[in-house]
Amino acid sequence: MYQALLTRRYLTRKIMPLLASAAVMLCVAMELITWSVMGGFLNQLIASGRSLIGDVEISRPQTGFAHYEELVAMLEADELIVAAAPTVDAYGLISLGEGRTSFCVIKGIDPESFDAVTGYRDSLYWKPLDEPLPKDDAGADPRLDPEARDLFAALQGFGETLEPPERDGLPEKPLTILGLEVFSKRGLRTPAGFVEADVLTQRELTVNVLPTDRSGGWLEPTARRFVIANEFASGVYEIDSRTLYVHIEELQDMLRMDEAEKVETGTAEIIYNDQGEPIGFGSPETVGVDPARATAVLVRGVDDADLNVLRERVASIYDEFSRKHDGVPPVDFINVLTWEDRNATLIGAIKKETALVLFIFGIISLTSVFLVLAIFWSMVSERTKDVGILRAIGASRMGVAWLWIRYGLAIGAVGTTLGIGLAYLVITNINAIHDWLGTALGISIWDPAVYYFTTIPEDFDATKVVIVAAAGVLSCAIGAVVPAARAARMDPVKALRFE
Amino acid sequence: MISASNISKTYRLGRVDVPVLRGASIEAGEGEWVAVLGASGSGKSTLLHLLGGLDRPDRGSGAIRFGDTELGSLGAAGLDRFRRTQVGFVFQFFHLLPELTVLENVLLGSMVGRGRLGFLRERAQLTKRAEGLIEVVGLSHRRGHRPAELSGGERQRVAIARALMNDPPVILADEPTGNLDQGTGAGVLDALSELRLATPDGSPRTMVMVTHDTRVAERADRVVTIADGVVQAGAGQPASR
Repeated sequence: MYQALLTRRYLTRKIMPLLASAAVMLCVAMELITWSVMGGFLNQLIASGRSLIGDVEISRPQTGFAHYEELVAMLEADELIVAAAPTVDAYGLISLGEGRTSFCVIKGIDPESFDAVTGYRDSLYWKPLDEPLPKDDAGADPRLDPEARDLFAALQGFGETLEPPERDGLPEKPLTILGLEVFSKRGLRTPAGFVEADVLTQRELTVNVLPTDRSGGWLEPTARRFVIANEFASGVYEIDSRTLYVHIEELQDMLRMDEAEKVETGTAEIIYNDQGEPIGFGSPETVGVDPARATAVLVRGVDDADLNVLRERVASIYDEFSRKHDGVPPVDFINVLTWEDRNATLIGAIKKETALVLFIFGIISLTSVFLVLAIFWSMVSERTKDVGILRAIGASRMGVAWLWIRYGLAIGAVGTTLGIGLAYLVITNINAIHDWLGTALGISIWDPAVYYFTTIPEDFDATKVVIVAAAGVLSCAIGAVVPAARAARMDPVKALRFE
Repeated sequence: MISASNISKTYRLGRVDVPVLRGASIEAGEGEWVAVLGASGSGKSTLLHLLGGLDRPDRGSGAIRFGDTELGSLGAAGLDRFRRTQVGFVFQFFHLLPELTVLENVLLGSMVGRGRLGFLRERAQLTKRAEGLIEVVGLSHRRGHRPAELSGGERQRVAIARALMNDPPVILADEPTGNLDQGTGAGVLDALSELRLATPDGSPRTMVMVTHDTRVAERADRVVTIADGVVQAGAGQPASR
């Protein structure tokens, strides 16, 4: 009982334990903030996959595979699969004019099915907003403007369908959806996170792609003018800065992956004029149809599906599909990957990096152990007489040791509680703090070009709090053990004579 | 009641052994007040510490007995219990815990050896006893004060109340007036005398008091002197007022 009373009094009547608690607080906050941000980064990276490729991707880059509509139907018939969408991916050079060019991934999509797999329509940026963003106190986001509501609604509609408007009964130029960061928004981004002005939509850009033949050889480059119908923001900088969407049929056409008649070479007849002179060739003999090809089919599973099970199921369906068609590559020649599989190197590296950073900070946090040890050593010296008094009135050595260990636990508990509070405040306001650092001091720590995401992710969860809190309190108890043993071993007579 | 026979105690200072007690013997009967008179460095405080189980005599040098129990036969836990229940120490420099109030310092003796639940269960009763002791030493108005806010005499009264909190049969007082002026010291001795007699059955507690002040020693039932680590006169002798 006396330990509880003395612990309380020692804690509140001296500056040193408060300093020790402050050190513990900083160590705990440092560990939690690091872990939460790194963990949040990893979680967001893994979760972002679903909004980019769904759960599983079947892909065969460059040459692709035919009869994909049948594969989509087979996949969607499975109980584990909610939707499947064909895409065509190609690298290309895009040009906005005025020398503004960018090397991009051109993604041909069917908006309906692509949205069913990835929720793509939610990522469209230019659309009317009813509520301002959380940090947009002034309501300055142009998407809130009631007068521009119709315009943004139209842009949203174009983005959702990729169907160009008709003029004089004929469709206008094809549409494209540009990643929000493809052409830098530097200077247009506000701290609240919105873009101050729509400067790109309705402008035209040129897309250049390089088709290949079935053997992978380059054919003549194809260029086509597109109208920017909208922009999208997936939140993953790597994607938003390097991707644009066009309709799958446009890209198939540009890459010569669309449906075509198959002809027999050497069967075209020579056409002669009235004088009997050859003037050209007639149509060759049609022997069949070369079906359109897609380079990937994206699959979304049911919400609680185990991704590894889903991947195996998708591979098995593809195997069955490939056996039905000559010319469709067998399952061993294509990739069936989850997002984590596709980014295994990066995700593995981040996991290792998280562990390494936690380990390093753990070692740094050992300072708190030594700090508590040093402070307690000094306090035990200062309290030598107290130890003598307690022993004189019958306190046991263990009782005296427990007083100091309990004191260490109390300092740990106080420091840890404050540390959790500090970490919570920092983590929940980390983007605001970062923005403030940028505005007030010109310091920008989080560069989205390096870290993928345009905002700093975080994952502050109870498991991390419990583990770090336990480690914090335990560290203090460990730091208190040596001074506690010293106090317990003190000769009470010498302790009473201590000056 | 409590006795030491032929005990020695040597302390090591650096490489030198310094004998403090050289075969000292003393006995205090039940209810007897024995004063140990000696000069500074004569070994009187060491004798008191050995009698109270705070320290052990040199190995094989003699025995200390409390009733039928030889303290040498007690382990560490047994000695802790002995100090907690059978003796109450009063020191020259009061030795109060500066963070605690008067009431808490007095209660401290009852907290040691009791768990939180045990203390809370008896809290009302123990607090009542502590307040009673504080009242006897005349400090009821100071019960919420800390030692730094008290005079020397008041601090020693608190120390006396603390020593008697567990109602021990033996009081061991080490120069209880040594740090006080004559008038204050007399008052403290009065308080000590009063509380020595404040037992459930009215029989006085045994008290061994070491002092270098003959006027203080004269108030005891019996006086023995100690010099060079040997109790030289009066040891085991009948009371001499």
